[in-house]
Amino acid sequence: MELSALLQNLLNGLAIGSVYAIFALGYTLVFSILGIINFAHGAVFTLGAYFTYTLVVGQFENNGLFKGVNLFPGGSPLSGHPVTFALATLVGAALAGLVAVLIERVAFRPMRSRGADPLLALVSSLGVALVIVNLIQLLVGAEIYNFPSDAYGEVRPALSFTLGGNVVIIRTVQVVIFAVSLVMLAVLGFVIGRTKIGKALRAVAENPTTASLLGISVDRFIVITFFLSGFVGGLAGTLVGTAFGVAGPYFGVAYGLKGLAVIVLGGLGSIPGAVLGGLVIGLAEAFVPADYSAYKDAVAFALLFIILLVRPQGLLGRSAIQKV
Amino acid sequence: MARISLNGALCATLSLTLGLAHAQKVDTITIGVAVAQTSNTALLGQEQVIGARFAEKYLNARGGINGTPFKLVFQDTGGDEAGAINAFQTLITKDRVIGIVGPTLSQQAFASDPIAERAKVPVLGPSNTAKGIPQIGNFIARVSAPVAVVAPNAVRQALKLDPKIKDVAVLYAQNDAFSTSETGTFQETVKAQGLNLATVQKFQTTDTDFTTQVTAVLNAKVDLVIISGLAADGGNLIKQLRQLGYKGLIIGGNGMNTSNMFPVCQKLCDGVIIAQAYSPAQSSAANQVFVKEYSAQYKKAPPQFAAQAYAGVQVMVEALKVIDRKKKLNTWDLDDLRVELNKQILLGKYNTPLGLLAFDKEGEIIQKEFYVAQIKMKDAKTGSFVYLK
Repeated sequence: MELSALLQNLLNGLAIGSVYAIFALGYTLVFSILGIINFAHGAVFTLGAYFTYTLVVGQFENNGLFKGVNLFPGGSPLSGHPVTFALATLVGAALAGLVAVLIERVAFRPMRSRGADPLLALVSSLGVALVIVNLIQLLVGAEIYNFPSDAYGEVRPALSFTLGGNVVIIRTVQVVIFAVSLVMLAVLGFVIGRTKIGKALRAVAENPTTASLLGISVDRFIVITFFLSGFVGGLAGTLVGTAFGVAGPYFGVAYGLKGLAVIVLGGLGSIPGAVLGGLVIGLAEAFVPADYSAYKDAVAFALLFIILLVRPQGLLGRSAIQKV
Repeated sequence: MARISLNGALCATLSLTLGLAHAQKVDTITIGVAVAQTSNTALLGQEQVIGARFAEKYLNARGGINGTPFKLVFQDTGGDEAGAINAFQTLITKDRVIGIVGPTLSQQAFASDPIAERAKVPVLGPSNTAKGIPQIGNFIARVSAPVAVVAPNAVRQALKLDPKIKDVAVLYAQNDAFSTSETGTFQETVKAQGLNLATVQKFQTTDTDFTTQVTAVLNAKVDLVIISGLAADGGNLIKQLRQLGYKGLIIGGNGMNTSNMFPVCQKLCDGVIIAQAYSPAQSSAANQVFVKEYSAQYKKAPPQFAAQAYAGVQVMVEALKVIDRKKKLNTWDLDDLRVELNKQILLGKYNTPLGLLAFDKEGEIIQKEFYVAQIKMKDAKTGSFVYLK
């Protein structure tokens, strides 16, 4: 492979891989606390993009109950400047976090309080996901929604140069995605690793009963976990939405599947594993030759399969120890 | 053994239901519309619903079927084959429709049309452009021109605009039957025109990041890019091509013939050449009324999917009018009327928003006019297809 192609693929892979990583963090957070995959996470990802779109543009097109609605006839006050756009993104992600909290109340807590099989909660979250995407379609239609094309100052590439006669290009949006993801991962790493909230979360993840005996409100910290999970999921949705457009209510489905691959690859419940898994999958996809790019999903999942054969607990996961 | 018994039971049930239908006269003139109102195909199906509803409102306001209003019954097919089969079965056995306009996707048509064929219910495919659709059976026809006759016009127009074009990149959505069929036609046309097919790139309709394909195109240093995809992925691909510095001509396939693409690539849509089976610029009175009404309500020109659904309903209504003049519709047995409607659909000529239409004996559309347009964007969201002669 030529050096230019190698460099281009590496940069592409890091950008998309970082989105996978922060999306997968949401899955991992919930899994590490409850030991359950929250299948509604893909729907929360979609919602994050729609919430930010509503704040920044607020215009809805031909279909759905919101048909013809324009919340900001004179233009949104949160549009037109990177700082206000960033604010809208954070509010959109926070709203997605609140929806995740609601999902916990509706789909997980009732099951938990009845001591139901975890599989039921998983199916319940799948049901919630379907309700959410259908609700989005009912309200705003199946239209493609797009943020202003200059949302990130995306008028020209951030970097463009020729190497060995071939062009290497980095889009502004790729740089933004990578930078935001890095900041988000650092903040989350700090919160979980260095703060009291993080310690309490880790205690609940380790053993909820013991944590409860130590005076930690398990339900409260589960709510915090779901909020954080929804926040990062919503943020990932907005990043992808602003980069490529919000391709309808179902656009989180593919990311939901990819996110599952990422956390399994990285090691279920491992936060560094989610990051590593995201980057590995992103890079694996990026290195699929252009002529075969239609098969990149197959390559990513084949890689997952091969790694799991060699290391069933994932790249950074711990082997389960069974005491007898 | 169990499977045979189950199939037998299903056939018996279907025959019984159809048999019961046979005994009844036509009381309400009901046409079924089975398109994708939900799923990720809903964007197309919802446009078809709008087009069909327009036809119902407009044609009923002008006397319906010789003074008797007709009714459309909608069933959601979703985006998969199972959804289309369920919708067709419900329309045939429960809603007892005279004919069906639908389904949205060619893949769905291959699954659901045989059900209508067995029940002898005429079907008009509003957007089934893949090879082999009319050949599914005697009761299957389409108002959607096959890609092979639409696509080559765009390449010829691009060469008119820039005769120096030599090297061409072709990109297509590999997971979409329509796009893979269309790209074959485009690639054959490129070779037939003596152009160099410099690179062929594939993508998926679900893809959002096209950096890999775009850099490959840029490094191939082509003069023309031809894309077969749908509005979301195709629009995104155009956006990223322009953002990353491609300055040459771009041709979009028939799947991108919708103003829904404008908000995706926004001002970067400007100048894209689109092969069209329908153009809002088509000058017939039928089309101009349709365009005026649609634009007044939706503040944009009607898309091809809406126009084709409108045409589907119109063809059925006009065929029913002819039958009604010979023998009043409420005196027919439903099964006989379905057979007669199929015959009459294939016999007639129809002046629709797509232009003058007729059908060959297999049900393939005979469409007189095809179009090539160039997108002119007014601002970030609104634009128009300017008809190229």
